[in-house]
Amino acid sequence: MKALSPNKGLPVFLVFFLALAALPLLGVEGYRLRLLTLLFLWVSLAGCWNFMSGYTGYIDFGPVAYFGTGAYATAVLMIRFDLHFASALALSGLICAPLAALVGGATLRIRGAYFAIATFAAAEALKQVTLEGDRVAGFEFFGGSHGLTLPAAPDSEFFYYLLLGFMVLVIGITHFLEKTKFGYGLKAIRESEQAAELSGVPTFKLKMRAYVLSSSLIGCLGGIEAYWLTYIIPDDVFNVMRTIQMVIMTLLGGMGTVWGPVIGAGFLTLVGEFLGAKFVYDYLTILGVVIVVVILILPRGIMSLMKGRRGETV
Amino acid sequence: MVLFLQSLINGFLLGGIYAACAAGFSLAFGVMGIVNLSHGDFVMLGAFVTYWLFVLLGWDPFLTLPITLALLFILGLFLQKLALNRIAGAPPIMSYLLTFGFHLVISSLALRAWTADYRTLNPTYAGLNFNLCGLVLPYSRLATFSLALVLICGLYLFLYRTEMGRAIRATAQDGEMARLLGIRIFKIYAVTFAVSAAITGVAGSLVAQTFVVYPQMGLPFTVTAFCVVVLGGLGYVPGTLFGGLILGIFESLATTYLTAGLSLVLTFLLLLIMLILRPGGVFGKGALE
Amino acid sequence: MSLLECRQVTKRFGALEAVRRFSFSLEKGEILGLIGPNGSGKTTLFNVLVGIHRPDEGEVVFRGESISGLAPHRICRRGMAKASQTIRPFQEMSVLENLLVPGMYGGKLGLKQARERAAAVLNLLGLEDRGRVPSGKISLAERRQLELGRVLMTGAELLLLDEIMAGLNPAEVERALGLLEKIRGEGKTIILVEHVMQAVMKISERLVVLNHGERIAEGKPEEVARNPEVIQAYLGRPYA
Repeated sequence: MKALSPNKGLPVFLVFFLALAALPLLGVEGYRLRLLTLLFLWVSLAGCWNFMSGYTGYIDFGPVAYFGTGAYATAVLMIRFDLHFASALALSGLICAPLAALVGGATLRIRGAYFAIATFAAAEALKQVTLEGDRVAGFEFFGGSHGLTLPAAPDSEFFYYLLLGFMVLVIGITHFLEKTKFGYGLKAIRESEQAAELSGVPTFKLKMRAYVLSSSLIGCLGGIEAYWLTYIIPDDVFNVMRTIQMVIMTLLGGMGTVWGPVIGAGFLTLVGEFLGAKFVYDYLTILGVVIVVVILILPRGIMSLMKGRRGETV
Repeated sequence: MVLFLQSLINGFLLGGIYAACAAGFSLAFGVMGIVNLSHGDFVMLGAFVTYWLFVLLGWDPFLTLPITLALLFILGLFLQKLALNRIAGAPPIMSYLLTFGFHLVISSLALRAWTADYRTLNPTYAGLNFNLCGLVLPYSRLATFSLALVLICGLYLFLYRTEMGRAIRATAQDGEMARLLGIRIFKIYAVTFAVSAAITGVAGSLVAQTFVVYPQMGLPFTVTAFCVVVLGGLGYVPGTLFGGLILGIFESLATTYLTAGLSLVLTFLLLLIMLILRPGGVFGKGALE
Repeated sequence: MSLLECRQVTKRFGALEAVRRFSFSLEKGEILGLIGPNGSGKTTLFNVLVGIHRPDEGEVVFRGESISGLAPHRICRRGMAKASQTIRPFQEMSVLENLLVPGMYGGKLGLKQARERAAAVLNLLGLEDRGRVPSGKISLAERRQLELGRVLMTGAELLLLDEIMAGLNPAEVERALGLLEKIRGEGKTIILVEHVMQAVMKISERLVVLNHGERIAEGKPEEVARNPEVIQAYLGRPYA
């Protein structure tokens, strides 16, 4: 599967997505349905992460900050402010934007190392806010370590289609932007930021845009998960494991490509399911080894194998 | 007033340890441009080495410092030769991801080996204090603080008064030129990273005497080291002492007067403010590009 | 009004004054050579002009407006761009795509127009059949051409060329000089920093000589070549 040009590939992908959409109607349900839904979630998450880190080369180590923020925002808006899911979700995404702007604004003008660690610290700090916030401020808002329970959710099919749509959205955005001015600008930043700046690319502005967009979408995904699970606690929605998985999925599949996150997420989700609880303790070790091996041997991920030895780009 | 002074002193003593933890991070960064996301795990390993030697063999934590130094030095050497050397010229993104991979492997292996239990080091002198006008100064804290200072001064002397140290600084300033002068870059990188791991390990030993020890403690220390380094200036080793003291005092005061629960949040806000207002650190000598 | 003016520009790095009270002016259509021994401040001066460094003292005036302290991408969009041997291309992108970036951003063109201009630039450089090759895989000489192409794509009217002929053989140098003449013919102004002396002498109408960050000579190439201070700066006192 060489890198497909937009025109050739489009019908194939449409058929593929329509097929996925038809599955529930053909009788797929229960465990299989939920597994696919989970898959769509991870593809979306990896895709959003890829959008910032894969394309600009500025590694975000705290995307879970927005996942958790989105989850809590949606939960709080629905529980304490009686909002409908749709409005709560939209607002949750919007709430993430200024947060991302703050973190990005402080760190994206300087070396990538600052961004990497500041994003990680942000995730931990926000987790702490939800864990300790109530106790410190003396009121009942986040629910502390007991978490929050959301209103009852619609059936599995609702989330299947919602996340399928979201996944298509994320892939679509990435695919569309790849060959536009914005996409080229981002890639230029990754490849040679100084050359980009000297070529007229407003590097800071583009990085901010990518980061805010990516974070807001991740926030929405957090909101969807909150509604889907119906019960959230800080240790779950702010869990660093999500960051790790987003990173590995994209790295494995190929950073900075449209299909890399899809391949990586698909692979890891399915493998994770089959290994199941068997290797719980070793899972992290294995993931770590995977990262090390990929970096040393195949830094551009699986997609680099697929782009062909000739190395020609479209 | 006494409370304030006590808090200040606590923070000061704590800061020394923070500084020792961060010195290696700044060194690795200044010389090789590597941001070591597994840095905190060296602290953890140093802490565990000290813990096990004490618990299993009864050896005093202060006396086993050289062992920690040697073991972590070897580990650093090993990691550098095995993997880090391969990405020497590559974009920084590689080092973040690679060292993050190290972190996962090291911390989860530690978890597997030693379980998630919290452990504390309890030598016989643990509870003894020195009392000065109503202020409580635990002996062990005074000792660890002094050792932290010794560690940092030792690093400083190493970098500025020895042949190897000079070579390291030359490489940090201009790798190309250093190579032309006959300095073997990869050897320097190996030694630098090994030294970084070693002193961080010793800092970990000191940490073991002050904090609880558990396999997951690494990551918070990486973040702490980073905060110290931002305050002191990334790549500017002398600055880490001040960075450490500032952070220690800040955290101590925040815990005393505001709240213990939100210390991470406050530290993070401090970090953001520093990055926005003065990213080059207190002395302005941090590397920004 | 001069195209570019430097007024007492000074840039320090710690205790070192890399550029010291440098003043000069440049007219449209000139080809100016900027020479001086290693470490004399030429690259630093370029970096100040193009926005990478902010001058500690003095001012840079481009087209009548002060640009000191503006970000590099803004200065590029205003019409001044730098090409340098130390700038890496966008390696994962093809040669053509490398040119699209400066075209769309610096040159403010749309994607389609950028493609058209890129095709023209590739033609000018003689790289027509290399468009689809990943830029990580081209030869050194081609990389230099690509770098030149990059600044051409920005549409800048003042080009600062920093040692782009380093490492080229004499035939390649001749080719490069021909290109520069052609570019000047299209109305561009060029400041050239080079160590390849024959090239600089040949093509520059005027030379400015830097030593230790200061301007020590200025004038026509033949005059400057005979200037004892210049000779001393390059070769040392005995030769003056």
